[in-house]
Amino acid sequence: MKRLINIVVNGEPHEVAVNPEQTLLEILREELGLTGTKKGCDQGECGACTVLVDGKPVSSCLVLAVSVNGKSIATIEGLSQNGRLHPLQEAFVQHGAIQCGFCTPGMLLAAKYLLENRPLPSEQEIKEAIAGNICRCTGYVKIIEAITAVAHSTAQ
Amino acid sequence: MHLPKFEYLEPGETSEVVSILGKYRGQCSIIAGGTDLLVAMKQRRQTPKYVISLAKVSELKQIREEAGMISIGPLATLEEVVASGPIQKKLPVLAQAAWEVGSPLLRTVATIGGNLCLDTRCRFYNQSEFWRGARPDCFKAGGVICHVTNKENTCYSTFSGDIAPALIALNAQIQLIGDGDERWLPLARFYTGVGRIPNLLAAGDNEVLTEIKVPLPADGTKGLYRKYRFRESIDFPLVGLAAILRVDPDDGICQEACLVFSGVGSRPVQAAEAENKLIGKRLNEDIIAAAAETAAGEVHPVKTDRVNPQFKKKIVKAMVREAFTELGGVKS
Amino acid sequence: MSKYAVVGEGLPRIDGPEKATGQAKFTVDIKLPGMLYGKILRSPYPHARIISIDTSAAEALPGVKAVITGKDIGEVRYAFVDTPRYPADERPLAIDKVRYIGDEVAAVAAVSEAVAEEALGLIKVEYEVLPAVFTPEEAIKPTAAVIHENSLEGTSAWEEWGAAGRSHDYRAEVDIDNASARSAISFGDVEEGFRQADHIREDSFDAAATAHCALEPHAAVASYDPVNGKLDLWLSTMGIFLKRFVLSKALKMPISKVRVRHSYVGGAFGGKIDVFPYEFCAAYLSMKLGRPVKIELDREEVFTTTRQRHPISIKIKTGIKKDGTIVAQDIKLYADNGGYRGSGAIVVFLCHGFSFPVYNIPNYRYEGIAVYTNNPIRGPQRGHGAPQVRFAIDSQLDMIARELGLDPVEVMLKNVRHKGDVLPNGDKLNSCGLSDAIRGAAQGVNWTVGRSQLNKGEDCAKGSGRDGARFRRGVGMSLCSMFSGAMYYPFASAAMIKLHDDGSATLFTGSQELGQGIYTTLGQVAAEELGIGLDDIRVVAGDTEITPIDLGSFLSGGALVTGNAVKLAAADARRQLLEVAAEILEVKVEDLNYRNKQIFVKGNLDKSISYAKAIQGSVFRKNGNPIIGTGSYKGNPETDRYPSLAKAKGLFTSAYGFCAQAVEVEVDTLTGKVKVLKASTFHDCGFPLNKTIVEGQVEGCVSMGMGQALSEEIVLEKGQLFNASFLNYRLPIATDTPETKDGLVDSLEPNGPFGAKEVGEGAVAGMLAAVANAVNDAVGVRIYSTPITPDKVLSALQG
Ligand SMILES: Cc1cc2nc3c(=O)[nH]c(=O)nc-3n(C[C@H](O)[C@H](O)[C@H](O)COP(=O)(O)OP(=O)(O)OC[C@H]3O[C@@H](n4cnc5c(N)ncnc54)[C@H](O)[C@@H]3O)c2cc1C
Ligand code: SF4
Ligand code: FES
Ligand code: FES
Repeated sequence: MKRLINIVVNGEPHEVAVNPEQTLLEILREELGLTGTKKGCDQGECGACTVLVDGKPVSSCLVLAVSVNGKSIATIEGLSQNGRLHPLQEAFVQHGAIQCGFCTPGMLLAAKYLLENRPLPSEQEIKEAIAGNICRCTGYVKIIEAITAVAHSTAQ
Repeated sequence: MHLPKFEYLEPGETSEVVSILGKYRGQCSIIAGGTDLLVAMKQRRQTPKYVISLAKVSELKQIREEAGMISIGPLATLEEVVASGPIQKKLPVLAQAAWEVGSPLLRTVATIGGNLCLDTRCRFYNQSEFWRGARPDCFKAGGVICHVTNKENTCYSTFSGDIAPALIALNAQIQLIGDGDERWLPLARFYTGVGRIPNLLAAGDNEVLTEIKVPLPADGTKGLYRKYRFRESIDFPLVGLAAILRVDPDDGICQEACLVFSGVGSRPVQAAEAENKLIGKRLNEDIIAAAAETAAGEVHPVKTDRVNPQFKKKIVKAMVREAFTELGGVKS
Repeated sequence: MSKYAVVGEGLPRIDGPEKATGQAKFTVDIKLPGMLYGKILRSPYPHARIISIDTSAAEALPGVKAVITGKDIGEVRYAFVDTPRYPADERPLAIDKVRYIGDEVAAVAAVSEAVAEEALGLIKVEYEVLPAVFTPEEAIKPTAAVIHENSLEGTSAWEEWGAAGRSHDYRAEVDIDNASARSAISFGDVEEGFRQADHIREDSFDAAATAHCALEPHAAVASYDPVNGKLDLWLSTMGIFLKRFVLSKALKMPISKVRVRHSYVGGAFGGKIDVFPYEFCAAYLSMKLGRPVKIELDREEVFTTTRQRHPISIKIKTGIKKDGTIVAQDIKLYADNGGYRGSGAIVVFLCHGFSFPVYNIPNYRYEGIAVYTNNPIRGPQRGHGAPQVRFAIDSQLDMIARELGLDPVEVMLKNVRHKGDVLPNGDKLNSCGLSDAIRGAAQGVNWTVGRSQLNKGEDCAKGSGRDGARFRRGVGMSLCSMFSGAMYYPFASAAMIKLHDDGSATLFTGSQELGQGIYTTLGQVAAEELGIGLDDIRVVAGDTEITPIDLGSFLSGGALVTGNAVKLAAADARRQLLEVAAEILEVKVEDLNYRNKQIFVKGNLDKSISYAKAIQGSVFRKNGNPIIGTGSYKGNPETDRYPSLAKAKGLFTSAYGFCAQAVEVEVDTLTGKVKVLKASTFHDCGFPLNKTIVEGQVEGCVSMGMGQALSEEIVLEKGQLFNASFLNYRLPIATDTPETKDGLVDSLEPNGPFGAKEVGEGAVAGMLAAVANAVNDAVGVRIYSTPITPDKVLSALQG
């Protein structure tokens, strides 16, 4: 049986009819057409589906859509503002932290959460914050560099 | 892999939860964070007709400090547990254990209650429906034979939760509420040691875990949680160890020692004999080594994951040595 | 300052913003009106005969639009290698037998994925389970169950491209029913070589099967237009023209009626080259139903059914002089290619081809045999054979060096090839920076300092912990080489450049972006040659209908082969532009110079014309020619043939990439855990067209190589994959990242565009032996198989 949920996605309110068995990931990709959120495993193991629910990063493939009723969700599509890249997006582009780009949306949101809570993280803290986001292409080196660069530039 | 169909219920009170559990006995599952249950459902290891969310039962979320205790609602997320001031200060073992669970993306939704109720795991069982279809259902999955041991009617699936060892080492009590019935029991007694039905709730009784109480440790108690896994995130523990030590500050004699493991049996395993090797002694390298040796003898891992049990025993030994060397400030 | 304006710089990639904002469309993101969803029913048995299939219940399920089985499709065969010697042995859906767990049996199209999944459960298949074999040792026994009983007719897909007619059956050379391919080669006189040796070692090594783990799961969207008889495809692919070629033949469609359209690919690493049954089925179902069909594999299917690296057992015997000169080497290996040949015939060729350019060994014999088993199918993966064989060769060389009291680095330096060397197959090394790479990599891990630790602590190795320190460090090194493109369908790349009114340009290339940055790199090549900025270039790519043919992004041909084609196309456009300008300015072409989209007369800066004006001029003067430049380049210009896979004869590639990899590890003697602290890779890529991208490729390779050295492994029991998930297949995560030092050796390949050659594949291969050697350096134990897991290390330490 479908039920209506009200969610705010990237600042915009949505009313969506969902089945209990649909995950937040499915709703975002299939109902709302927000395909920037990726499905890499569908089992909570890769972080490609990371979105922020009430500001916190979660694996949206392991969250029931019905359970986010009333919550606010941030996806990669909402990270840039008025056509301007977020500093993290800019840094990822500049530092070569993006290769195939499939892990990138999740990685960026995990990084955003980190910097909001710890503006000047150590390298170890950066690694730990993105340890649930798998990237096969980059070996993480340039991703860590990019996050470090943003932390340092905003700290100044 | 899609979730099977089910009905989603969101009661607002514990009593309602209990009555629904009674009404749909055997056909429902409680969902907290869902990080274990939803995977089980995607893999069709569980196909409840009703999924009962605890999200609306607000009283289950709180972390409070009371007289000589810390009370934790089962719905507190692991991230909240890690961030909680009182827990960081007074129960660092618990904070460490919570920090070690899964990955950061799971800890934001995974709950402490769900972690305690975590199902046991096995390489033949934690697989997709298609995968399991290649052979007859194992005993835990409703069949007869166990693919690990080739014996009938036994299951050695492994308890791999990180929080339970820490809470057992801290002498935590839990509250279960059922039909007109409410009881407190030591967390250690919650676990049956039976792979197929690893805890008191797994049998499908109509009870819900409503509170965890942890007595504050005596002054001078030190503790740590160590997790051996191949990667520093995502992975379940191959071996988890919660270790507690209290040494008399005057004579340096060990007053209290506690070792509880995860990953080496169908329940959290307490190594009582090893503890006895430490209690009443002044710790030194040899005593710790002896305790480590004893602990390795007290655990009986079965090959339910990829690593071989003999290796796990070696790791147990290494971890005990490392933990007590560090806790006891013993030079190695 | 660099003599170039655009190439060489680490410019940000052009697809960056699109990917950073979630706008980039991958195949999994394609959604078309009226689209149906497909799912594949797979065999749960490693080896079984299909007795019957009953699809009626599935067909009756509401929402199901079609169910197909092998019978519906009929006789269709294809494969990665399809030559008379190695006839194609794969079918889109099984007809008679299934040969591994995951083998495709039926396909369903339905209104949603959930319905399609449900329908699979309703298909009833009756199997007769057959005896199965799971290791090469079992498979080569005379009594072993035969996996492919019938010799298939050798109709070669390449015949129209001049593949030799029927050559003799490889089975005549190896009397093993389950053998699927064999390569054998020798040069010099091996027996005599061993007689000359002062020291001989014989060892066996085993390299594990590993998974690609591209983050994007494989997917296909097919949309058939019954009115025009055209099929549009969006695919997870590394070479759009190769996929079109194979799929059009399998679907019995004219090649021009099949169009592969552009979508981004979320990583590939070799795992998206082959044509897969799900692709065929999506197309077939779409043609049958006249509606778009999408099939997306789940992660378990990706792990199980989209190829893995070949597990290879290697026997190696090496003879060496006291001074460290290798005089003879004899290698025999078995590769397990699983239930179908996959790339078995290629891997046994490449275990030689990717490796023999490293050391100059006068007397050499090599035999590689690929065998069928009832395991999952194996295919290309980054380095394709090189990691396995380099693991064996350089592990053993390290042992030999130590036994002779020589520094392994010195022994490597003594034996490596140099620029100008001619390889035994006739390929000439026009560039080779191996010696410099070795010195660079060694310095990157403080080689001499690192090694002295070992020398002090040798006695601490056994027994561990108590006497010596708990954590011990060591360093190790290994080398590798790689092709830069080769002769493989479609054998060449072409490119086209169209200039615009404002002086900017559009590059049309059939290459495919997988994350390797090819659009950016090619854009830079075009911009450099045209004298415009990267901002002035738009890249149209990955579409078989609108772009010229392309070799595809495998065998590391992107930079060299397609790069050359693009460079030629840009030069062609520039020539036309300058010719018009010369005409307008009334000077000779030789008198012109250009910069910043402006053409001026040398020595007379006042006399100039903008690109825009010159293009306008061309339109007015030259019958409206708006200037389109074209260029093309062959996989290997020196030859008109692909090399013989069996005899490893013929020219392989026009340039070899090389690299030296060194690591410093820390071994926990209490738990056996090995951590890579530093990884130093010196890569001879000729010339880095984009420094950041090249570094990124190397870092990705290092991480993958480290994973495969230490923890990655496909775990099979009786053909069943136990770790088909990111949770249990332990690829590196962020916390595993070592300190990396990448160095580039600019050896300037004369055949490459601006001197560039291969990058992006090689730097996996050296990691395995580098780590194994470093572990040995640290704690004195030798691990002969990958991955080097804590339990192996601990067992070895405790002896
Ligand atoms: C990739 C991955 C990695 C993981 N790694 C780890 C790890 O390293 N360590 C670890 O310990 N766990 C790990 N987990 C398992 C899981 O995420 C955690 O154990 C988590 O804490 C479970 O909590 P939850 O709230 O999500 O549980 P849920 O999935 O909501 O529930 C789990 C079980 O507990 C029952 N339950 C939950 N709350 C109650 C209650 N109050 N009363 C009665 N029954 C209840 C549910 O019915 C269900 O059977 C991992 C999971 C994944 C997917
Ligand atoms: S231990 Fe045996 S019965 Fe238990 S889950 Fe594993 S295979 Fe099944
Ligand atoms: S898709 Fe959700 S964690 Fe991988
Ligand atoms: S960029 Fe490809 S997975 Fe991270």
